[in-house]
Amino acid sequence: MKINYALALVALALVGCGSGQKPESSPGVANNRPLPLVAFSQANSADPWRQVFDADTKTAAEKHADAMSYEMQAAEDDPNKQINVIETFMLKNPKVLLVSPATEAVQSATDKAFDKGIPVILLDREVQGDKWTAYIGGDNREIGRQAGQFIVEKLGGTGTVLMVQGISDIKPTIDRREGAMESFQNAPGIKVIFGDDCKYQRQAAQSYMESFLQSRKAFDAVYAHNDEMAIGALMAYQASANKPAKRPLFVGVDGCQQEVIQMIKDGLLDATFKYPGPGPKAIELAAEILKGKQPTEKRIILPTIKVTKDNADQYMIDNPNLAN
Amino acid sequence: MIVHVPILECASPMPLLSPSAMRAATRCRFGPYHPKTPLFSKSTCQLGNTQLQKNRATSKNMLPLLQRYQALAGLLILLVVAFIVTDRGSTPDAFFGSVFFSKGNLENVLNQLAVPGILALGATFVIISGGIDLSAGSALGLLNCITAMWFLRGAPTWATILYVLTIGTLIGATQGYIIGLTKLQPFIVTLAGMVSLRGIAYVYTDNANVSGLKGQLDFFRQTYLGIPTAGWLLIAITLVGAIILRKTVFGRRVYAIGGNALASLYAGVPVDRVRVGAFAFNGFCVGLAALLFTARTNNGQPSAGVGYELDAITAAVVGGTALIGGYGSALGTFVGALFIVSLNVLLILEGVNYYVGQGWKGVIILLAVYLQNIGRKTQ
Repeated sequence: MKINYALALVALALVGCGSGQKPESSPGVANNRPLPLVAFSQANSADPWRQVFDADTKTAAEKHADAMSYEMQAAEDDPNKQINVIETFMLKNPKVLLVSPATEAVQSATDKAFDKGIPVILLDREVQGDKWTAYIGGDNREIGRQAGQFIVEKLGGTGTVLMVQGISDIKPTIDRREGAMESFQNAPGIKVIFGDDCKYQRQAAQSYMESFLQSRKAFDAVYAHNDEMAIGALMAYQASANKPAKRPLFVGVDGCQQEVIQMIKDGLLDATFKYPGPGPKAIELAAEILKGKQPTEKRIILPTIKVTKDNADQYMIDNPNLAN
Repeated sequence: MIVHVPILECASPMPLLSPSAMRAATRCRFGPYHPKTPLFSKSTCQLGNTQLQKNRATSKNMLPLLQRYQALAGLLILLVVAFIVTDRGSTPDAFFGSVFFSKGNLENVLNQLAVPGILALGATFVIISGGIDLSAGSALGLLNCITAMWFLRGAPTWATILYVLTIGTLIGATQGYIIGLTKLQPFIVTLAGMVSLRGIAYVYTDNANVSGLKGQLDFFRQTYLGIPTAGWLLIAITLVGAIILRKTVFGRRVYAIGGNALASLYAGVPVDRVRVGAFAFNGFCVGLAALLFTARTNNGQPSAGVGYELDAITAAVVGGTALIGGYGSALGTFVGALFIVSLNVLLILEGVNYYVGQGWKGVIILLAVYLQNIGRKTQ
């Protein structure tokens, strides 16, 4: 028993030591002077889009390794935990703070950082008030518009579109829906069926599509608010006995998974529209700020990229950090 | 430690014993942890206790002491590690020149500790009484929304605080009452509470975040003597909790019903009422935690506090509270929560990946419980 206990104590001590390891990144040092810290508080690192976002940001930071040290922490989409992270970061005197807010509730922490004179760059989501230096994000409405336009052109202006929807009451979904509707309303021959809220999940979209196909309603295109749901709908379509005579179009949004790009190459999906990750631009901006240049634009909106069979190979090369 | 000896001896002839012997039996259950508890001299317990002392004398190892203060030992190890690994010289107001031991970090840790620490104190009461509370996170979410909504509608700060604490206490008491009434397991009743309170939070806010508060609770974030108000509140309620558990009849009965509910009942302890009391205290803690949470986020969010009940239980367990009931202390839980929050802060300061940190935390929980068990099995 004594030995057991001693072993357990040793293990506990090891755990303590283990916590001191630095697998992520260690503060860089140049000419014996610590490099200025760029700290990134990520809302969560759970979904594929955020994983690519993290990887891209890290790659970009490594390119500036002689000018900055970079640290990242995720927070499970919990504003309280994200406030913990930001306030702990503040102890390390970061020179630039990047925050992708879990919700607008992290404002109390970003305000405090901004008041201490630290430039705050918001990524993808915003907080209220004006205590931030810059915002970088994508434009979901424009993505919706382009996706809608693509479908209208491919169908030659007439046909029925099934819209497989994401979480119905959040802003990205509303923008992706309304943007597409702008394009569809300009084409009088297009009819739209509003599908269920499939929560951006592959499984949910698959079971919805299975029930929809049972109804044997005709449709010519599927527009899903993200790629995962497009894949779910496609899988249900492939397994179904009630296929429409002509193969419908399948269009998704996000373009952050290798699987999706491969399916586009194989002709299973027709197109996806990249929801751009703001990480690399943010690092670029942080590097500028460290050189003493203040950003000229406060709101930076990143353009989308249409991915079809034509440019799928090039897209893979341009985006080496895509999720598996 | 030697707890199983007396209880086994007391347990078999139980229905034949007199009430006073019964009372003594239940006290024996947690006796070794509270040496000051008076023992009835003419009881079956005495045999167990003599044996206990003999064991204590013969076993020369430090096991009981270490086991009792395991959270403290863990915390000390953590502090030493923190001292070794953190950067030096970058912060002016730091002890030993380390960021981790800076004044700013003391404030930071206490600010982070307040919510999980108070939730864990409530959980400690419930767990000692032989129960468990899975609804704390959902209740925190609902009370967070209620606080925000009341402020948004212009209610005065004192009325909101009073209302939220009352509702919190009522939520706890109701669940405790339902357990007594239906004889269902606390796990089931609070699981139901967890599901439906979360649902109510979403219905109450109409699926939206409640924002636009004017910082009515900002005074919780002010510091006095280098410690934020939230930290002072945590210290105060922990001391109150410790006094209730150690010095009051109610507190002793919480241990008794957790140690052996049936024996307590025979000994004349109103088991159901004591349980309602323990759950009500827990509810009060959840209410207070919800107020501090709102002060921190300055909005109401129906999804707030998901998983916090497990964080609270973790802190209590690391602090030496046993899930079987009957053992534990308020101060132990405080140290357990402090250990976990300090570990979190250290992991962030050292730039350890969040998910790697979670992996280590699981290992630490396992170790903590393992240490308790080998301690109890030794005899």
